[in-house]
Amino acid sequence: MNTRSDMMLPRRHTILGGVALAAGAAAPAHAQLTIDMTRPSFEPVPIAIVDFKGDKVGADIAGVVRNDLQNSGLFRSISPSAFIQQNIDPNAPPRFQDWRSIGAAGVVIGQVVQAGGNIKVDFRLWDVVAGNQATGLSFTSQPNNWRRLAHIIADAIYKRVTGEEGYFDTRVAYVSETGPLSARVKRIAIMDQDGANNRYITDGRTIALTPRFSPTLQEIVYMAYGENNGQPRVYLQSVDSGRRELLGNFPGMSFAPRFSPDGTKVVMSISADGNSDIYEMDVRGRALRRLTNTAAIDTSPCYSNDGTQIVFNSDRGGSQQLYVMSASGGNERRISFGQGRYATPVWSPRGDHIAFTKISGGTFGIGVMRTDGSGERMLASGFLVEGPTWAPNGRVLMFFRQQPNSGGRAGSVTLHQIDITGRFERQVPTPTDASDPAWSPLIPQ
Amino acid sequence: MKQLQFRFLIIIALALPSAAAAQRLDPVHVEDRFNQLQQSITVLTGQIEQLQYRNQQLQQQLEKMQADYEFRLEQLEKGGTRSGTAPAARPRTPPAAAAPAAAQGNADQAYHDAFKKLQDGDYAGAESGFRTFLQRFPQHALAGNAQYWLGETFYARRDYKNAMTAFAEGYKAYKSSPKGPDNLLKLGITLATLGRKSDACAIFARFKQDYPRATDLQKRRIEQERQKDGCS
Amino acid sequence: MRMIKAFAAIAATILLAACSDQQAAAPATTTVTPGSAADFRQNVGDRVFFDTDKSNIREDARTTLGRQAEWLKKYPNYQVTIEGHCDERGTREYNLALGERRANAARQYLVAQGVPAARLKTISYGKERPDPVGSDEAAWARNRRAVTALQ
Repeated sequence: MNTRSDMMLPRRHTILGGVALAAGAAAPAHAQLTIDMTRPSFEPVPIAIVDFKGDKVGADIAGVVRNDLQNSGLFRSISPSAFIQQNIDPNAPPRFQDWRSIGAAGVVIGQVVQAGGNIKVDFRLWDVVAGNQATGLSFTSQPNNWRRLAHIIADAIYKRVTGEEGYFDTRVAYVSETGPLSARVKRIAIMDQDGANNRYITDGRTIALTPRFSPTLQEIVYMAYGENNGQPRVYLQSVDSGRRELLGNFPGMSFAPRFSPDGTKVVMSISADGNSDIYEMDVRGRALRRLTNTAAIDTSPCYSNDGTQIVFNSDRGGSQQLYVMSASGGNERRISFGQGRYATPVWSPRGDHIAFTKISGGTFGIGVMRTDGSGERMLASGFLVEGPTWAPNGRVLMFFRQQPNSGGRAGSVTLHQIDITGRFERQVPTPTDASDPAWSPLIPQ
Repeated sequence: MKQLQFRFLIIIALALPSAAAAQRLDPVHVEDRFNQLQQSITVLTGQIEQLQYRNQQLQQQLEKMQADYEFRLEQLEKGGTRSGTAPAARPRTPPAAAAPAAAQGNADQAYHDAFKKLQDGDYAGAESGFRTFLQRFPQHALAGNAQYWLGETFYARRDYKNAMTAFAEGYKAYKSSPKGPDNLLKLGITLATLGRKSDACAIFARFKQDYPRATDLQKRRIEQERQKDGCS
Repeated sequence: MRMIKAFAAIAATILLAACSDQQAAAPATTTVTPGSAADFRQNVGDRVFFDTDKSNIREDARTTLGRQAEWLKKYPNYQVTIEGHCDERGTREYNLALGERRANAARQYLVAQGVPAARLKTISYGKERPDPVGSDEAAWARNRRAVTALQ
C-alpha cells in the first residue's frame, strides 16, 4: 500500500496543476463522457468523484473508485480540492455549471446509509455535458465489504463510459519472492486487483510457482516442490479453507497447470524420462488423458476462451514456438513464425488474441497476436519481462518485470499492467517482490 | 514408451550389420547416435513448419492476385472494348476432383485453349471451346467456370439472350462452383440489361442466402447493382 | 564384454592412482577423506555445463561425467540426485522442462557408463536456484548446469 501512495503522489500534483488551469479557462468543449476504445488515441475522460455522503466510509469508497479509474489510464480523476460545489444533495442533480467550469465530463455522487447492521450504498454518474444522469446503482452489503462495493461502482462507471466490461472487482494471485536468490522463498499470495487485502496461500517452506484461478475463484492450482527436495507437483487448493490436495501423483515432475474455462479440467505438463508432454486431468474423477506425445518439450498449455482448443509452447521444431491443438489433442499446428523464441501463451477471455512472452536478440517482450498467429504486436519489453495474464475484459494485461542481478544481489521483480494497445503501463504495488501474476475472472456477485 | 521402443530399434539396427564393431555397442555411442537422430528430426520438423508456412503465404498471395486479375478482366469486359493487351495470367484452377490423370490433362488443356481464345477476343472460338469442354467433362472441377465464361462469350458480343440462358444454366447446374457468385451476379446484370429489372432484383435477392461466404468485393458489386436497378 | 569391463576398471584404478599421486604432490590441498562428499566435489567435480537452450552432453562434460561414473562405481553406498538448472534467460515453465532434460541427459550418460540406474534420481530447478547469482554471460554459463548431488 505504501508503494502505491509513493507512486501516485507526483501524478496527483500534476493533475492539480492542470485543474487549476482548467478552472480559469472556459470548459473544454471536447470533454465527452464516452470513450471510443477502438480509436488509436484519446484523451482520458476527466471525472470528479465526490466523497460519498452519510458515513465516514463514504470517503474511503470514493478514494477506491478514484484510484481504480485513474489507474486504468482511461480516466483523469479530478482532485476534490478543485470542486466548486460543496454540500451536495445526493438525491438531486448537481449544479452542472460548477462541474463544467472545472473541466469535468462526469461527476459521481453517492451516499452510504446504515441499514440494520448492513450498509446501503447508492451512486449516480451525472453526464455534465448533456446535463443528465448517465447511470446509477444501489447495493446493500455487510460493512466490511465496502472495498468490493467501491470496485463494483468503478466497474459500472467504466462500463458506462467505455462500453466495455470493467475489471476492478477482481483478484490477482502471484508468487511473492523474498530472501537472497540462492535461497529464495517463493510463496503464493492473493490480493485484490488494486493491491489491497494481500494474503499468503502457501507457507514458503518449499518453492511454489505459477498459481492460476478456477473460474469460480474458489480454488487455485499451482506447482510446488515437495519437502526435502521432493519433485515439483501440481496442487489444487481451496482459497477460503486452505485445504490442499495433490492433483495426481506421478513419478516425474508435473507443472504448468491451468483450469479449463468451465473449471472441470486442469491441463498441465508431466515429465517422464526427462521429457515433458501435455496432459489433461478431470478435476472430479481425476482421470488423466495424454494430449501430446513428442520427444520435445511441450509445456505452458492454456485453453481457448470457449474451451475447444489449447495453445502451448514446444521446441519440437528446434526452438520454442507457439502451437494450437484441439482440446482433446491432435490437429497440432504452429502459429508463431517471427524472429525469436515464443513462450507462455495465454488466450484472451474475449477469444480474439493470444498474449505471449517473446525472447529475441537478448531482450524479452510481451506481445499479442491474433489466434491464427497473424497481426503480432509487441506491447512491452525489457531485460526480463514474462508471463502475461488477461484481465477478464480482455483489454488489459498484467505481467512481471525482473531487473538484472548485480553484485551477487537479486534485481527487483515487480508486477505491471498495460493496455492491449501498449499504453498506460504502470507498476502494480505488492508488499514484496512479485512474479507470475494470474488475474482472476470477475468475482461472482 | 515410444522413445524406449525407438531406442531399442536403433540398437538392433546398429547391431545387425556389424556385430563385431564393439564400439557401436558401447552404450554411450548408442546414446549419442540416438541424440543425433533426435536432433536431426527436430531440425527437419522446424524446416517443414517453415516451408509449410511460406507455402501457405504464397498461396494466399496467389489467390489475391487471381481475384484481382479476374476483377480487372471483368472491368475490361464491361468497358466493351477488347484490347489485345489482356494480362497473361492463368485462370483460377481449384483442386480438381478425382479423375484419371490422362483425361485430366486433356480437360485442363481444352479449358485453357478455350480461355485463351476468350482472352484473345475470339468469342466464337471460345464459345465452341467451352461448349465442347462442357459436353466432354460435365463433372470436371472447372465445369462451373466453363459455363460462366460461356455466358461471357455471349455477353461480350452483346448477345444478351444467349448470355442470359448460359448464366441461368450456370446458376442451376453449378450453383456451388467457385464461380457461382459471379455467375449469379452476371445473370442479374444481364436480366437488367434486357429490361427485366424485377427478375434481376429477385436474382440479386437470392445472393445472400445462396452465398453467405462470398467475398466483400462480390457483396459490394451486388449491392451496387441492386441500387442501380432500384431493387427494394 | 566382461573383459572390456574388467579392463575399464583397471584403467580407472590407474587413473585414480595417478590422481591421488597428484594430490599428494600438492601440499597446499586440504586433506579430504577419499570417498567422502567433499572428495567427490573437489577431486571429481560435481557439475557439468550446457550450451544455451541445449541439453546435449558437451566434450568437457564427458570427462567430468566419466570421472563421476568411476567414483560412483567405486563407492556404491551413495544414492544420487542429479539436479538440472538453467540460466535466467528463459521462461519459468519452459526452464523447468529444460532443467529436467539436462538432468536426464547427465543421468543417461552415467547409466551408459555403468552406474546402476536405480541409484540415480533427477530433479529440475529450472531457473529457481541460480549459482552464481549474476546477470552476465559468465554467470549464465555457470548456471546452465547439471549438479550430481550425493545423498
